[in-house]
Amino acid sequence: MPPLNYFVVESPDEVGRDAYERIAADVLQDLDLIKVLDRLHIYVDPKVPIFVAVGLLRHMPRAIRVADFANVNPGDAEIVLDIGDETYLAPLLRKLWALYGKENVDQPDRFTVVLPAGAAGEEDLDQMVVADPSETLYKDVIYALQYIAPEGFKVRRQYIRDGKFYYVASEDTLPADIVETMVAPIFAKMGVTL
Amino acid sequence: MTTLVPVTYKGGVYRHDEIMDLIDDLGGYIVQKHVMAQDVVLQSFVPRDDIDLIREVAKPLAGEVVEAPLVGTEIAVVSPSLEIHHLPHTSCDIAEYLRRAGAKTNMVGLARGFGKRIANLNDEERDVINEHDLAVYVLGSFEECIRQKFPVLRRGIHVPIVVTGSPDRETLMRIVDPPVEGYVGGVGRIMHRFKRPEELAKLDELVDEVSRTLDTRRDDLARDPLSVFPPRLMAIVEEQIHEVTMLTHPTPVTAQMEGLRVKLPYDLYADAMRALEVADGVTVGDIADVTPSRMRNYILIRIKPFSETRILV
Repeated sequence: MPPLNYFVVESPDEVGRDAYERIAADVLQDLDLIKVLDRLHIYVDPKVPIFVAVGLLRHMPRAIRVADFANVNPGDAEIVLDIGDETYLAPLLRKLWALYGKENVDQPDRFTVVLPAGAAGEEDLDQMVVADPSETLYKDVIYALQYIAPEGFKVRRQYIRDGKFYYVASEDTLPADIVETMVAPIFAKMGVTL
Repeated sequence: MTTLVPVTYKGGVYRHDEIMDLIDDLGGYIVQKHVMAQDVVLQSFVPRDDIDLIREVAKPLAGEVVEAPLVGTEIAVVSPSLEIHHLPHTSCDIAEYLRRAGAKTNMVGLARGFGKRIANLNDEERDVINEHDLAVYVLGSFEECIRQKFPVLRRGIHVPIVVTGSPDRETLMRIVDPPVEGYVGGVGRIMHRFKRPEELAKLDELVDEVSRTLDTRRDDLARDPLSVFPPRLMAIVEEQIHEVTMLTHPTPVTAQMEGLRVKLPYDLYADAMRALEVADGVTVGDIADVTPSRMRNYILIRIKPFSETRILV
């Protein structure tokens, strides 16, 4: 760990602070999120009790289009899609089935999808959006923070938007102004306003 | 009287029955036998003077005999939670390491053990832990949390306890009140498998701490010995009650320091167990309490000391 630009764990308990620094590093590494996060600041105080994680995302991955992993070869009778990478083949097929009907989508082998020219062709197949990894990325980041937080901290509030995120958790009910009192000052430390 | 010492034999499957026969002939007992592919591990008690003989016989078979301080003990590894939240679990590594030292370990994951304020121990968990020889408590990272929740988690537990957690040993000793039998600091919540040298050293420290605690108990037992040595009773049960051999459990009869856990249904076999003859005219019922275990429907046999029965088999 970590190529994060800013990674701070704060806690009044020195031993616990070291332990949580290791835990955060392990979890981010396991979930492959180190490249996704730009900054991360964790504050944990078992006496209150409160766990706050605040940070910024590096960049959101863009939407995956057909052209990113396949060649579209239009012919007279049929359009042949030459698949380079199978990762997004399943969502692609699901999309094609929905658009043209299952009977019109032929897959003679793993790396070839054939559409009849009559059925398809008007739309720009190349630029069709197949999947949006950022949708699951939000979930992954929140899941990671939930994973890092102590297990007993079941009451939580989370936020992720425009590359900023926070996650606050506690064993007790969270005060209504927790974002203003705890989260905003940590954002301020990183030179960012929420 | 020959003293029996706990040892582990590790070798190949080929001709391992000769070793088993030898241990039997020397008057030793095999407490556990594991066959893993082509390897065999025997956890056994053998006479101290005959260890060299076993080494001699095992030499051409490439087998090795090592002292294993925890053979014949059943240890509970208690974790406040066995949730997916903590995978890979510290308690798994701890349980596995204690097994290597010869112990039979059971993992106990508490239903509501997490949280500083809300941690709880229910009666079933308490009774199950009390059926073991020793409980290792695998606690977390914060001093404050251990201080607050440990008194709740130990309520009603009367077996020796070894506590582990992130704070160092001295801090643990300071915050645990009343004191327990053993402490290992610097473990706590670790989100990766134990692999670094300092982590493995911690596990060795834990084994030392556990065996030191159990040795104290063994010394007490030496002063007032049990009416029968548990592995001896185990051999008799396995010989006389043939249903035991048909069980698929890894250890159908588990040896403890002061008794046995027999994995047969209590309702059907308790009377047969009590009537079982250990020696001329002495039955299990005379020298031990046969009670239902809180673990499934098993039978728990607690052997009474000599001072109570005036019988020594």
